[in-house]
Amino acid sequence: MKPTVTFTLDGQKASAPEGELLVHAAARHGVFIPTLCHDDKLDPYGGCRMCVVGVEGSPRPLPACATRVREGMAVSTNSSVPQYRKTLTEMLLAEHLNPNPGGRPNELMDMAAELGAEAPFILPDAKREEYDDRNRLMGYDPDACILCNRCVRYTQEVMQCSALSLEGRGPHARIVPTHGYSWLDTECELCGGCLSVCPTGAIYEKFEEGTRRPERALTKVKSTCTFCGVGCQIDLNVDPETNRIVKVTSDSSYVSNEGNLCVKGRFAFNFVHHPDRLTEPLVRGEDGELHPATWEHALQTAAEGLQGVKERHGPLAIGVLASARLTMEENYLIQKLARTVLGTNSVHSCEAT
Amino acid sequence: MLPELPTARTRLLDNLGRIRREVGPVTPEVSDAIADHMNIRRGEVDEVVSFYSFLRLPVDALRVCIGPVCDCLGARELAEQARELAPAGLPVVEVECLGHCDLAPAGTRGDLVLPSLSRPALEDAIEGRPTSLVFHSTNTGPSIDLATTDETLLDYEARGGFAVLRNLPSNERIVEELKASSLAGYGGAGFPTGVKWEAVAREPAPRYVVINADEGEPGTIKDRYVMERRPHLMLEGMLVAMRFAGATEGFIYLREEYATARVRLTRAIDELRLAGLLEGLSIELVIGAGAYICGEETAMLESMEGRRGMPRLKPPFPSEVGYLGLPTLINNVETIAHVPAILRNGGAAWAALGKRGATGVRLWSLSGAVRLPGCYEAPNGSTLRELIDEHAGGATDEIGAIVPGGAASGILPPDALDVPLTRDGLRDWGAGAGSAGVQVFPASYSPLRLLRETMRFFAEESCQKCTPCRIGNRGLHHLFEQLEHGRVAMPRGQAEEWLDAMAATSICGLGQGSPFPVRNAFRFWPDLFARLGEPAVR
Repeated sequence: MKPTVTFTLDGQKASAPEGELLVHAAARHGVFIPTLCHDDKLDPYGGCRMCVVGVEGSPRPLPACATRVREGMAVSTNSSVPQYRKTLTEMLLAEHLNPNPGGRPNELMDMAAELGAEAPFILPDAKREEYDDRNRLMGYDPDACILCNRCVRYTQEVMQCSALSLEGRGPHARIVPTHGYSWLDTECELCGGCLSVCPTGAIYEKFEEGTRRPERALTKVKSTCTFCGVGCQIDLNVDPETNRIVKVTSDSSYVSNEGNLCVKGRFAFNFVHHPDRLTEPLVRGEDGELHPATWEHALQTAAEGLQGVKERHGPLAIGVLASARLTMEENYLIQKLARTVLGTNSVHSCEAT
Repeated sequence: MLPELPTARTRLLDNLGRIRREVGPVTPEVSDAIADHMNIRRGEVDEVVSFYSFLRLPVDALRVCIGPVCDCLGARELAEQARELAPAGLPVVEVECLGHCDLAPAGTRGDLVLPSLSRPALEDAIEGRPTSLVFHSTNTGPSIDLATTDETLLDYEARGGFAVLRNLPSNERIVEELKASSLAGYGGAGFPTGVKWEAVAREPAPRYVVINADEGEPGTIKDRYVMERRPHLMLEGMLVAMRFAGATEGFIYLREEYATARVRLTRAIDELRLAGLLEGLSIELVIGAGAYICGEETAMLESMEGRRGMPRLKPPFPSEVGYLGLPTLINNVETIAHVPAILRNGGAAWAALGKRGATGVRLWSLSGAVRLPGCYEAPNGSTLRELIDEHAGGATDEIGAIVPGGAASGILPPDALDVPLTRDGLRDWGAGAGSAGVQVFPASYSPLRLLRETMRFFAEESCQKCTPCRIGNRGLHHLFEQLEHGRVAMPRGQAEEWLDAMAATSICGLGQGSPFPVRNAFRFWPDLFARLGEPAVR
């Protein structure tokens, strides 16, 4: 346990574990400090400066996302801080040409609405080179990017693929996949983690292009990813009108995966509504065709078939392949079935490789 | 060539520079090959390559300086002419201050400096004919004495060189003398050198010493003069710092544009090594690749570690957490070159060299509308008029505006000619002495254009890490560009809010300092900004 330190927040006494980031310590005391470039999964960056607060003894305000609480610290969020925040928002708006490329939430626009901030002008060099990617999953509009560098740092620090780069210096700097190539030609695995951390929705899911409904108008249904045994927590985003899943997201508060997903978990959900999907048991009849059946009948048929093989050829003639999409517990039961009921040690799952 | 390149991440910038020099511009394919060889992910090498201005340019590209002094002398038209004259395949690029303001309008072709550019000079440069010799205009002085040139180590030793290093006082004594001298960093920030050295000594070993030779502040040429004329003196100061800090590895981060300094330093370091003066120590030159921001000390450390040169959040300061996370003593070239004189004659004697209550001497870069542009050693406490008249041979024109010490130091009207150029003297004027890069502009050069160019420079050089610097400078550049056409992009009050946010919330000196010249201009040339409306009431 870290020792507790006391500090003051806008004149009120407060306490926090020593070394806690100010932005968290303040939140626990009911003071919300907005951030754009901060993400708990990443090292403190302190780039957007939205979260600057006054700290007694410091000649300049300090970023709450990168400053740790010390004993006796005096922090203020109400002197010049609100004006700085508004001005910084105006600055970001001065080059924010497209606030909504793909329906994802835009935290900058939320902040602008809350603070009543407007761009005094659009910078003449605000327009960035267009980026068109031939991959089918992720889209990116550089005109919505605020260069907070969250996505780039995510690819470096979390995914360790560094598929995105902050390129250049000065007004022509931009964020793009390595060299401006297609994501498919970089070390990207299309996990979509970069889009999940983007605060303005500049990177977005192409997959949901069937719906024009913004993400916030979708109903989130919490679920567990079925693709492997890790058990990533996901939110199925359901279009309330059509009752169809149109995208999958995850939240960084979810324990097992902290909001991270892989390409399958995030993008491969179209099987849910696919017409080829099996929705009831099928049993092959005398005619060689598959026919709908009850679960009792289907299980009975399978059991008889396996029993028959075992009697005719012995238990070692049976091998069991378990789906990679089963959980650890289900896999345990499969091997139990294979070894104790069927009597074979030939049991495998592609998750083993 | 790849297999022979070292693979440590700290060698990335050096590897990229060598490839550019020996093979050619760093293309995406070359970038990926280096990444694979060094086991760095490709995207991270891409970030680094694109950060610098020169890695994707051929070595023999023609670079035309468009720093403020060169701009005032028609650099833009010269660049245009150069583009017309250049054959296909020879890139002509406009670059921010090349650090040769005494020879303005200036350019470079490869390692060759092109002084006093004109159409004939451009033709010569493009056809590869030798150009006129580069000369120094300087004076003698009690501390660094640029009138003397260290041609060889023997030369320097014959004049008493390395006597300080051979009879080095205790660390306590060194700190005492430095404090008594009141020497403060001459790179521009002005932090007391004795306090910095003491802070580094308090941190546990191992420690590093880094000399900041990334001189890029527009109008500032003093470090180049020191390295070209007194390399041995500077190295003696550096070795004193290394002995003091117990550092076995020292680095000099040198801007790529200073080819002569590179040659002179390389030769001097070799001489020192052969003479046994580097026993157990190494001094390494790290060559930059064109990025003003790498002169900011933490950006420089990032650059040395093979990443984009983006400033770190401070605290912690480099004296605690510096190069590779270890305590690091960082000094500017000129600052370190004063150390031998201070230890030889005593800090108090050195401090007494100042005048009007100021302490010590410094090197003043004088350029623009003066008869003898150059670099002169003169007391702190000197006024602009003294520097211009006594050293630079007087003004050539009616003076319109003066920048006292680099782009972020401020812009002063001719009324300020008799103000001592010290922190205290300039405080009331809302300016600073900065790097002492004094640029004198004639009345014919509009302060609004100077301001617009200054903000363009800051916008171009912003590393893109923080919002206020990244967009604030572009916004103000836009404001002044519009104003030149009589249009108002935002009212004065709002512009002042932007300046406040930039000064207060930028990460490093670039964004914190760039509001100074704007506020000066608002104050000293109110008529130029009348269209913007009333200033904010404070």
